[in-house]
Amino acid sequence: MKVSRRDLLIGSAGVTAGIIFTPVPWKLLGDVSIWTQNFSWIPQLPRGPVEVKQSACTLCANGCGVRVRMAAGCPVGVAGVSGHPVSKGTLCPLTFAAHQLNWHPRRLREVRHRGRPASWSDAQAAFAKACGEGQVAIFDAQPERAASSVFAAFIQKHNGCYRPVLGPESQALAPYASWSGVPVNALGYDLENTRTIVSFGAPLLDGWGTPGRFTRLWSDRAAGASDPQLRLIQMESSFSRTAALAWRRVAVREGSDAALAAGVARVLLEEGLVAAQAPMPVLPLAEAAAQTGLSVEEIRSLVRTMVEKRPVLAIAAEESPSVAALNVLLGAVGTPGGIVAKKNHVPARVPAEAPKTSPRAVLIDASVPWEFDPQTDAEIFRFAAWDGGGGKADWLLPAPGFLEYLTDVPAPPTSGVDTYAIAVNLAASPPEIKSAAQFLQKIDSSMPEVDQLIRAHCEEIFHSHQGAVYGEQPLPVSTIESAQKIEEQLRKGAVWVGNPSRPGNLRCVLKDWPAERTLPRPTNWAAAWPVPVLPPIATKLYQESNLREAPAGRQA
Amino acid sequence: MSARYGMVIDLDRCTGCGACMVACAAENNVPPAPPSATPRTGLTPMLVHKVSNGLEGSAQREVFIPVTCMQCERETPCVGVCPQQAVEVDKATGIVMQIPQRCLGCRYCMTACPYHARYFNWWDPKWPEGMEKTLNPGVSTRMRGVVEKCNLCHARLHGAMEKAAAAGKKEIDPTDYVPACVEACPTGAIVFGNLADRNDPASRAADSPDAFRLLARLGTEPKIHYKSRQAWVRALAERGTSRSSEAKHV
Repeated sequence: MKVSRRDLLIGSAGVTAGIIFTPVPWKLLGDVSIWTQNFSWIPQLPRGPVEVKQSACTLCANGCGVRVRMAAGCPVGVAGVSGHPVSKGTLCPLTFAAHQLNWHPRRLREVRHRGRPASWSDAQAAFAKACGEGQVAIFDAQPERAASSVFAAFIQKHNGCYRPVLGPESQALAPYASWSGVPVNALGYDLENTRTIVSFGAPLLDGWGTPGRFTRLWSDRAAGASDPQLRLIQMESSFSRTAALAWRRVAVREGSDAALAAGVARVLLEEGLVAAQAPMPVLPLAEAAAQTGLSVEEIRSLVRTMVEKRPVLAIAAEESPSVAALNVLLGAVGTPGGIVAKKNHVPARVPAEAPKTSPRAVLIDASVPWEFDPQTDAEIFRFAAWDGGGGKADWLLPAPGFLEYLTDVPAPPTSGVDTYAIAVNLAASPPEIKSAAQFLQKIDSSMPEVDQLIRAHCEEIFHSHQGAVYGEQPLPVSTIESAQKIEEQLRKGAVWVGNPSRPGNLRCVLKDWPAERTLPRPTNWAAAWPVPVLPPIATKLYQESNLREAPAGRQA
Repeated sequence: MSARYGMVIDLDRCTGCGACMVACAAENNVPPAPPSATPRTGLTPMLVHKVSNGLEGSAQREVFIPVTCMQCERETPCVGVCPQQAVEVDKATGIVMQIPQRCLGCRYCMTACPYHARYFNWWDPKWPEGMEKTLNPGVSTRMRGVVEKCNLCHARLHGAMEKAAAAGKKEIDPTDYVPACVEACPTGAIVFGNLADRNDPASRAADSPDAFRLLARLGTEPKIHYKSRQAWVRALAERGTSRSSEAKHV
C-alpha cells in the first residue's frame, strides 16, 4: 500500500491527538517538574535516621526545655517540651530557629588575635603569661553552672576575681540581695501565688524571664477578662506589647518610676492600706504627681485599685531600689506571691568578688552578651560563638554554639523555686572550638572537669532527698535509688525541681526610703536575645512583615 | 478518615510575639529573605497583623491577628481560578493543598484569595553555606516562581498517618498531628483540631458565642475561626486584611 503525503499528515494528527489521551504528556510534565526541583543550586534535604531528643536551651540563663528533632545526627527542628516545669512547653520566638545559628555566616571558627588568625596555643600562652604577671578577671553571665565552678577554682589558684554579669531581671532583684544578705541568684518571684502584678515597665509579655512562665500564667488567668484572676497593671511611657495587653495601663513619663513608686508608697502609708512599717518617702505626693505626669487623685485611685486583690507584687524592669522598697511596704518580700528565696538561704556556689587591683587580663565567657563592655584597659580574651561585630577584644576565641557542649543549667534568675537540668552536646561541634572552661583546663590541668562537677551536683541532689525529678513522670528524689539514676534522667532532658521556698525565709529591713538613679532601659525587642546574631528566618518578624521593628545592631 | 481540620485562634490571648511565624518558617523550610525583600514580597505563610481600635490615651487597645490560609470549605476561591489544578481541597481532611510542582506562577490564586494569604516565591531558596543541613527532611524546598501558602503542616499529617499505619491503626492519634504554629504558641491561643468532630476542643471553641470568621459574608466557610470577648475585635471580622497595611511598630 502506498502511503501518500495526505495519509502521513492524517496519521501524525491522529497520533498527536491520541497522545493527549495517554499518560505520556502528563508523565513528562510531572518528570520535568521534578527535574526542575533538583537543580544543583536547589538545597538538598538531609537524609538519615530521624530521632527526637530532649535537652535544655543554653542560649540564655532561663534554661527552657527543648525538644530537638535530629536527622542524621544534626538538629533539624526545635520545639518546646510540653509540661516542662520551667518553661511550660514554650520558647522565645527565635529559639524555634536556633538550630540554624551554628551555620550562621558570622559563626566564629578560628582564634583571632586583634583581627588576625591565630592559634589556641598562642592564646593559651598569652593568657598564662598574663596570669603570671598580674590579676585576671573572669566575667560570667550564667553563674552557678559547673563552668562557673571551674572559673572559681581558677581564680582562687591564680589570684583573680570572678565577676557575674547580671541581666535586667537579676538586677531588679539586687536591692533585696543587699538588704537581706541572700545572694541574687537565690532570689526569685513567686508569680503563681500573686493576684495583682504592678509592672514598672517590665516587658512581662514580651520576653521577660522564662518566656513561658508568665505568658502561660497570664493566658490562663487574665487574658481578655474584665475582672481577671490575675491583674496586670502596667506603668509605662510607651504603648508596648505588655501595656497593650495589660488589665490596666498607666501612662507615665519616661524615667519617672522612682517618683511613682514613692508616690504610691506615700498614699499606702497615709491611707493606712498596708500593715508593714516603712519610712515615709521624702518626695511629696504633689511632686511625685508632677514628675510622673499623673494627677494626685489618679495616683490615689491607682493605689486603691492596686490593693483590691492581694497579694500585690511590684516588678521593676531593671535595678530599682524604690520599686523594691515598695514591695517591702506591700509585704511582698518573703511571703507567698512575692519575692522569695528559692534556695532557702543556701549561698550562691560562686561568690562575687570585687577586683583588688586593676586586672592584667580579662576573660569573658561566651554567656556574656556581646554588647557587654568590661571597661578596662586589660588584655581581653573573649569567648563567643558568633562575631557580633565592633568588639574590642584582643583575643576572640571560638566557643561552642547551640547544643554543641555539655553544661548544666541552674535555676533561671526569676524562678521562685530551685531547679537543675543538664544540656548535653547533641550537635557535633567543629574541632577547633573550645569553651572557656576547657581553655582554663588546658592552662592548668588541675582544674576540675565540667563532667565531674555535674556528677558532684547530682550527688548533692541525691543526698538532699529534696524535690522531684520531672522526666516522663515526676519522681520524688527520695524514691530514686542512686545519684547515677538522677544524672541519667537529667541527661535525657528531665529537670530537678526543689521544694517550694518556706514563707518567711527572706527578710528585708528598710531604714530609709532609697534614693535612685535613672538607668537607660532596653527598648529594642532583640535586646533580650542573648546572641549577637539572629537566625536568618528572623526576617519574617520585621523585614518581611510589620510585626516588629528591625533590631538594632543584630544581623540575621 | 473524613476530617475537617481547622483552628480557632483566641485573639485575646495572642501577644504578637511572632513565635508562630518563626516556627512555621523553620518547619516548612521557608528560606531566609534576601536583603531586597519587603513585607509585600516576603514569604510568611503565617503572618501576624497588629490592629488598633483607633482610640487614644487609656481607651487605646490593640490586638494581634495571626492570618494564614483560611482553608475555605466552600467555593474555595483559589481552586476555581487555578489553570493548572495546582490547588486542591483534600476531601479526606478539608485541607486546601498547594502543589508547587504543578504551579506555573500565574498568581491568579493570589488575586482571588480574599485574605491575602498566598505568597509568590520571588527568589531561589537559598540558605547560608552549610545551613541546608538543618532543613526539615520531611518538607521539600520550593522553586522560585511558584505560589506558596499554609497547608496546615501537611508533612506532620503524613508523619502521623505513617505512625498510625505502623501501629495497624486506621485513624491517627490527634496528639500526633499538631501544626508548628499551634505547638509554638506560648499562650495556647491557637486550638487545632477536627471541626467535624463535635467533641473536639477546636470544634467546641468554634461554636463559642465569641467565635467568628473573617469575611464570613463571602460564604467561603473558612475553617480558621477566631475568638474574642472584645466587641470591637469581632467587628473587625468583616473588614478583611491587607498585607500592605502599615501597622505601627511596638
